[in-house]
Amino acid sequence: MFDIKNMVHEYFRRDEEGNVTGITTAVDKVSLQVAPGDFIAILGHNGSGKSTLAKHLNAILYPSEGTVLVDGMDTKEEDKLMKIRQTTGMVFQNPDNQIIAQVVEEDVGFGPENLGVPTEEIWQRMEESLKAVGMYEYRKKSPNRLSGGQKQRVSIAGVLAMHPKCIVLDEPTAMLDPGGRREVIRAARALNDVEGITVMLITHYMEEVIHADHVYVMDHGKVVMEGTPKEVFSRVEELQKLRLSVPQSTLLADRLKKAGLPLPDGILSRKELVEELKKLPMNRSGKAGRPGKANSPEKPLSPEGETDQKHAIIIDHLSHEYESGTAMAVKALSDVSLTIPKGQFVGLIGHTGSGKSSLIQHLNGLLKPTEGTVYIDGEDIFDKDYDLKKLRSRVGLVFQYPEHQLFEVDVFTDVCFGPKNLGLDQKEVELRAYEALKKVGFDDDSFYVSPFDLSGGQKRRVAIAGVLAMKPDVMILDEPTAGLDPKGRDEILDLIKQMQKETGMTVILVSHSMEDVANYVDRIVVMNKGSVMLDGSPGEIFTHVSELEEAGLAVPEVTYIVRDLNKEGFGLPEGVTTIKEAADAILALTGG
Amino acid sequence: MIREITIGQYYQTDSVLHRLDPRVKLVATILYIISLFLYRSPQTFAVAGVFLAVCIILSKVPFHYIVRGLKAVVILMLFTAAMNLFFMPGKVIFTYGILKITKEGVEAAVYMAFRLVMLILGSSLMTLTTTPTQLTDAMEKLLWPLTKIGAPVHEVAMMMSIALRFIPILLEETDKIMKAQAARGADFESGNVFHRVRSMVPILVPLFLAAFRRAGDLAMAMEARCYQGGEGRTKMKPLRYAMRDTVAYLILIAYITMIVLAGKLL
Repeated sequence: MFDIKNMVHEYFRRDEEGNVTGITTAVDKVSLQVAPGDFIAILGHNGSGKSTLAKHLNAILYPSEGTVLVDGMDTKEEDKLMKIRQTTGMVFQNPDNQIIAQVVEEDVGFGPENLGVPTEEIWQRMEESLKAVGMYEYRKKSPNRLSGGQKQRVSIAGVLAMHPKCIVLDEPTAMLDPGGRREVIRAARALNDVEGITVMLITHYMEEVIHADHVYVMDHGKVVMEGTPKEVFSRVEELQKLRLSVPQSTLLADRLKKAGLPLPDGILSRKELVEELKKLPMNRSGKAGRPGKANSPEKPLSPEGETDQKHAIIIDHLSHEYESGTAMAVKALSDVSLTIPKGQFVGLIGHTGSGKSSLIQHLNGLLKPTEGTVYIDGEDIFDKDYDLKKLRSRVGLVFQYPEHQLFEVDVFTDVCFGPKNLGLDQKEVELRAYEALKKVGFDDDSFYVSPFDLSGGQKRRVAIAGVLAMKPDVMILDEPTAGLDPKGRDEILDLIKQMQKETGMTVILVSHSMEDVANYVDRIVVMNKGSVMLDGSPGEIFTHVSELEEAGLAVPEVTYIVRDLNKEGFGLPEGVTTIKEAADAILALTGG
Repeated sequence: MIREITIGQYYQTDSVLHRLDPRVKLVATILYIISLFLYRSPQTFAVAGVFLAVCIILSKVPFHYIVRGLKAVVILMLFTAAMNLFFMPGKVIFTYGILKITKEGVEAAVYMAFRLVMLILGSSLMTLTTTPTQLTDAMEKLLWPLTKIGAPVHEVAMMMSIALRFIPILLEETDKIMKAQAARGADFESGNVFHRVRSMVPILVPLFLAAFRRAGDLAMAMEARCYQGGEGRTKMKPLRYAMRDTVAYLILIAYITMIVLAGKLL
């Protein structure tokens, strides 16, 4: 299907006159062959060259050196261009930026129209393709009304309708929530299993590739590891060095093995791990496990009746309705009450549309409640005498993809924007910007670079510094890790944790990923359908597995492993949230 | 806040007018607007009014939906009416201070208001019964002869339909950026004009960047799906005239004839 030989791709940086000022080698002497009907996965973090490689497969980019053959056709031959693009379909990362038409069915028809397919056949292809990804019922809908996962499935259908032999998916899940990610991966696998189409999946999530026939791991433009998922996943340390997120089942198995349990190499899924553990002799009395977090219930909420002074935020019976009073009224929040003490690190969890974004926008007055109110430091922020400027300096809000709001010529000036708006004098403004940039890990040298020349993770740091420079008492971050690779994600979360420790700020971290926040926060608030569903420490929350699943949320993989083992009579403590806890509990059973 | 702008958006229902070929509707709307300005007499206006009323009834679109389009231009209408009313020279029928109202002024004001109302109702009826995609298709097809003299008809139609697809997305994006900058203490409402224009910079720069980023992505996605311009493309939904479209054209001819008759003879 594909035959890539010694392929090199170089990006040229040019100055304003067009002279080459620098060369970046994105792909460095890569050779690989893909057989028809295979499911291939390419892993690597951002900047590893995997997307550049993918763009060669349908001749969007051409190799600087070496050759790329697609189904026997050299991508450098111009007269084969359309044939190659028809052979290899491509699905991109951003669900909004690849749908052309205003109705789902018309978008699926776009490719066949370009190929000059007769009208009747276009309709037939549209029907087949949308059915293959399970989106046929949505064919009359506007793409703007679909979820991210649904949009990506429409994009896959759009490619499928061109009858390709191969589909390349370039990080199709990077911008989706867990539910959307599952949808897309399921659709991709169905194409491979049912339609026999060669699939190449490019991703930075390892758990998405466990069903692949062959996995390549890229770093710095080179293929550094390859093999079956089992072979690749057994090299846990190497993978961690590359900062890839190894599935928790694999990590747990690795840890247990190092502690002396006789487990085989390359365990990929929780089912496998549970099966293997069942075979081992264990003391299943049920009480051997050391108590986990859940056995020491922490009630982070202080008893009622205390003075308001200790509470950073009190949300009092808050309700919000969009387009209130019209036929299109949507209830986003209904009767939410929460008390958040000063200095607490809270994880606010809920799937898309659960009301979490609406809730945080009330906390700094961007939205006004339909009913109820919010007290910050004991003051009603919706009182008409309350100064909004003061509120904005107290409650900092970092939106999703905050780097999209950068606008100044250099990093430093951009960070100054917030404090300047507070009306501080120039000296204070600059001091604050300096401190904030230092806190997010910038050196003095990079203060005067244009924010648009930075990498994704660095831009996000600048944007966070922009809010930090306003010195808020409360910092709210909406999905601060969205779209980042595992490496970037861990760095940002570590940074936030560190900030919270150093400054004693109250931090509210909004996320749809339980796994991400479990290790960082003191308390988790779960939102569902506009109200608070669960509220407590991570250990407590994760004992409610079935309720969380109903709300469209997944608990960390280890929690599932422990639950599955308990079904087999292991008697481990409930509410285990980290790999270390799980490993310790299992080892206690084996007497090791 | 910004998302609630809706003027003449497609209203989904099933009616004769909805099923008509968009080319018929486009031609009819243009001819209708011309017919409003051909003559100026109560008779022609009566014919035009009745014609539109019948169309509105046929369209099955609720009346308040159609009238909503008028809200946007109420100020303009009042302004033109006032200008006509007070500044038209002619036979004075009423004076108050320096304000003089003439007979001709009243007539002109009434006619102008009537024309504007009919014009807006007529064109919003078209957009209410025709999807933007159909409209661009119709435009592409009607203007197709112009390609012979080198006009980029397909490209313009494609640009229009992409613009329509991305307007809601960019509006949402604007909303988000405004909120984000407001959270950083930006103030868009106070200060003088100069101040306010300056305060738009933190919104416009990110917005343009976002638009360029999207345009780049979209161009790549279109190329990857073998888009090469209009040549050699087939249509998923080709426009084909049906019997009812011929009937509609005949009715249109009858209407124009009646307008001319009413204008000339009466």
